[in-house]
Amino acid sequence: MEPSLPIVRIVILGSKSTALDSAGSARLTEVSASKAASSHAEISVVALHDTRAALERLGGEVSVDLVVDPQSDLSALGFDSVDLFVLDCIDREEASLWLELVRDIGPPVLAIQRDDDDDSALQLFRCGADQCVRLGSDYMHVVPATALEMIHRWQQKRERGQVERHIEWLEGFNDAIVNQIPAALAVIDGEGKVATLNPLFSQLLGVAAGEAPGRLFSAVCDAELYRAAGFDEMVEATHRGFEVLAREARWTNADGAAQVFDVRSQQLDENGHVLLVLTDVSQIERQAEQIGELQRYNANIIQNINSALLVVSPSRKINYANSAAESILGVEFGKLPGRRVAEWFRDDETGVHLIVQTLMDGVRFKGAETLVTREDGRLIPIGISCSPLLDAAGETLGAIAIFQDLSEVKQLERQAMQSEKMASIGQLAAGVAHEINNPVGFIRANLFQMSEYLEDLQGVWTALEALQLAIASGENADVIRAKSAALKDVSKEIDLDYVRCDFTKAVSQSQEGSERIRHIVKDLRDFSRQDSAKSELADINECLESTANIVWTMAKHAVTLEKDLGVLPKLRCYPMQLKQVFMNLLHNASQAIEGRIAEEELDEVTTGEVVVRTFCKDGGVGITITDNGTGVAPEHMARIFDPFFTTKEVGAGTGLGLSTSYNIVARHGGNISVSSEVGKGTTFDIWLPESVNPDAGNRADAGGVLDD
Amino acid sequence: MTTESKEPARNPVLLIIDDETRILTAMQRSLRREGYAILTAATPDDALFIAKSRTLDIVLCDQRMPGMRGTELLAKIGEIYPHATRILMTGWTDAVTIAELESLGISGIFAKPWEDAELKKLLRKAASVIASG
Repeated sequence: MEPSLPIVRIVILGSKSTALDSAGSARLTEVSASKAASSHAEISVVALHDTRAALERLGGEVSVDLVVDPQSDLSALGFDSVDLFVLDCIDREEASLWLELVRDIGPPVLAIQRDDDDDSALQLFRCGADQCVRLGSDYMHVVPATALEMIHRWQQKRERGQVERHIEWLEGFNDAIVNQIPAALAVIDGEGKVATLNPLFSQLLGVAAGEAPGRLFSAVCDAELYRAAGFDEMVEATHRGFEVLAREARWTNADGAAQVFDVRSQQLDENGHVLLVLTDVSQIERQAEQIGELQRYNANIIQNINSALLVVSPSRKINYANSAAESILGVEFGKLPGRRVAEWFRDDETGVHLIVQTLMDGVRFKGAETLVTREDGRLIPIGISCSPLLDAAGETLGAIAIFQDLSEVKQLERQAMQSEKMASIGQLAAGVAHEINNPVGFIRANLFQMSEYLEDLQGVWTALEALQLAIASGENADVIRAKSAALKDVSKEIDLDYVRCDFTKAVSQSQEGSERIRHIVKDLRDFSRQDSAKSELADINECLESTANIVWTMAKHAVTLEKDLGVLPKLRCYPMQLKQVFMNLLHNASQAIEGRIAEEELDEVTTGEVVVRTFCKDGGVGITITDNGTGVAPEHMARIFDPFFTTKEVGAGTGLGLSTSYNIVARHGGNISVSSEVGKGTTFDIWLPESVNPDAGNRADAGGVLDD
Repeated sequence: MTTESKEPARNPVLLIIDDETRILTAMQRSLRREGYAILTAATPDDALFIAKSRTLDIVLCDQRMPGMRGTELLAKIGEIYPHATRILMTGWTDAVTIAELESLGISGIFAKPWEDAELKKLLRKAASVIASG
C-alpha cells in the first residue's frame, strides 16, 4: 500500500535540451550514447525515463510538474505551494544553475545523480541539494521513498513555521489590542497583585507602566475608584467562579472631572489571574443624556405648541398626537393614537379630506382652511397644513398634519370687521351731519322768517277784512276810501310785495331743503340696511350707486365721480358687505385725491376724478375704481391688503379697510387687485363670479362673518 | 354772487360767505330788518374780490368750502381789514381749535344749524363793538 498523502506538489527541474523532445526515451538514448556505457545507459534509460513515473507512485494526490527553463519566471509558476523540487538534469552546469535558483525558496531539493562520481554528489550537496539519489536498479523504489521522507520532513517544518508565525502574529495582535484598545486593562494575580497593566490603566492610575506589576492592586489603585468599582467584591466573585456582570463606576478623577466607567472582570486561568476591563463611558453617558435632553426638549415643544400635531399612518389611523390636538379635537389625554382620522376629519362634497390626500398622493397643503368635527360633534374652523412623512428612500410612512383652531381668529376677524364697519359709519355720520346741517339751518331760518311774514300779514288781513266789511255793510265812499288807504299803508309798512314774493321763495327753498334731507336719509338707509343671514340676489350697479351717493356727501367738494356702468346680471351675494368694500375703495379714492390736491396745490375742480366702471367678465362681474390721486408707494403695494396696515395718520384709519375688503371679495369667491403709480393715481380691480354661492361655497366660514 | 342791501352806507357792512346759497338767502331774510349792508359770496374767490373792493365791518364765513377752508379765507380777509370782526361758521364735525382761531385773529365761532335770535344777538354785539370802537 502506498502511503496516502495530502495534496503534494512536486516540481521536476529538467534539462532544457530534453524538453525539445516529445518523448523521454529519445533523450535518454542520447544520454546513454554520450556515456558510452551500455549497462548504465540502460539503467539510466529506465531510471530517467521513469522519474515521473516513480514519483507518481506516491499516489493520486501527487501532482508532478516539469519545468525545463531556468530563465522562465519561477514565481509565475507558483513555487510557494511546492513540497519538493526534483533536480533531474544532465549536466552539472545546468544542475548548479537550477540549484542556485531554488535552494533558498524553502522546499527541499532532491537531486538525481547520474553517475557514481562522489565528486558530483558532493558538488550537488554543495550547491544546495538536500538529498541525492543515484540511478540504479532500485531507483524506482528509492526515489519515491526518499521523496516521501523529504516531503514529510518539509511539511512538518513548514507547519512548525506556520504555527510559530501564527503565535508571533497573535502576540503582536494581543499587544496591539492591549495598547490600542480605548479601555483600561489590568491582570490581577491570585494574591491580588498587579500582573500587568495596559498603558491606559497606568495612565488612569497615574503610575509608570513598569511600576505597578508585583504591587497590590488595592495599593496601586485610587481608593475612590477602587471603592466605586467594587474591585474587591468583583475579584473575589470572579475567583469563586461566578460570572460577574458589568457594573458602572462613577468617580471624580484627579482633574476634578466626573467620569463613568463600565467595569467588567473575567477569570483568565486556574491560578487566579483575573482580567479587569474599565471602559470610559463618560462621553457616551453624556451623549445619552444629551439625546435624552433633546428628546425631552422636542417632546416639550411638540406638547406645548399651540398648534395641534398629528402623525397619521398610511392606514389612516393616528399614530401620535400632541396635547393641542387632544384639546382641539376634544379628546382625553392619550386617547387619540389608534383611532381613525375620519372620525374628526371628514370627507365632504368637495372630495376626500386633505390628510387622506396627503397619504394617498403625497401632496402637501399649507394653511388650508377646513372644518373639523370635535368629539362633542361641534364643527370648528381650523387652518391645516399637511405634509407626507417620508423615510430615507422617499417612501411614504404616513402624514403629518399641523392645525390651529381658527374659532378665535374668526371671532377676531368678525370683530375687526365690525369695528371697521363702525369706523366707516363714524366717517359716514360726520359727512352726513355736515350735509344735513346746511338744509336744516336754512329751513329753520326760513320757517322763523315765514312765521314773521305771517305775523306781518295779519295786519294786512285785518285791514282787508275791515275794508270788506265796510263795502258789504254799504258804508259811504269816504269810509271805504279810508279803509282802502289803511290797507295800502299796512301793505307798504310790511313791504307786502317783497313778502309775497319771498314767502313763495322761502317755501320752495325749504321744500327743496327738506327734499335734500330726505334723499340723504334714504341713501343712508339703502346703504346701511342690515344684511340678512342668507345671501341674496343683488344688482351690483345699485350697490355701487347707493354707496357712491353716501361717500360723495362727504367728498363732493373735491372730487367728481364718473360712472360707466354696464348691464350686469344679478349676483348672489351679501350686498351690505360688498357696499362696504365699495365704500372703502371710494372713500380711499377721494382721500387720495384730496391728498394730492393738498400736496400739489392743484385746482380740484379740474383734477379730482374717480371713475367707476362695471362690466361682464369671465362668467362674472368686473368692477374697476380708478382715481387720479396720490397713488401708492411701491414699497407699500405688497402690504396694502394686510390688516392694520395704514399710511394714514394715527386715528384717521383703522388699517382694516382694504384687508376687510379683500376678505369680503375672497369670501364671494372673487378677487381684488391693485395697480398704482405715485402721483398718477390708483386702480382697484375687482372680479366677482356669478356662479359662486357664498352660503355654501366656503366651508371655512361656517360660524364666521356671515352672521354679521 | 353778490347782492347789496338798500341800507345806507353808514350801516355796518356784513359779508356772509357760504357755498350753500340757500344759507345766504335764509340769512339775508333773517337779517333783513337788522340794518346791515349785507353782502354775500358763494365762493372764496368772490369773497376776496368783494373784500378788495368794499370796506367790511363784519365777516361771517363757513368753514367747509371747496378750495379753501373758512379759517384760511378769514385769515386772508384779516390781512386786508385787521379791524373787521371775523366769525367762523361751522358744523360740529369740523375740528377747529381755539388756539388756531386766536392765532388767525378770528373772534368767534357760530354753530350750524343756528337760532335766528342768536345770530342777530351775535351780530348786534359785533356791530356795537364797531360803533364804540
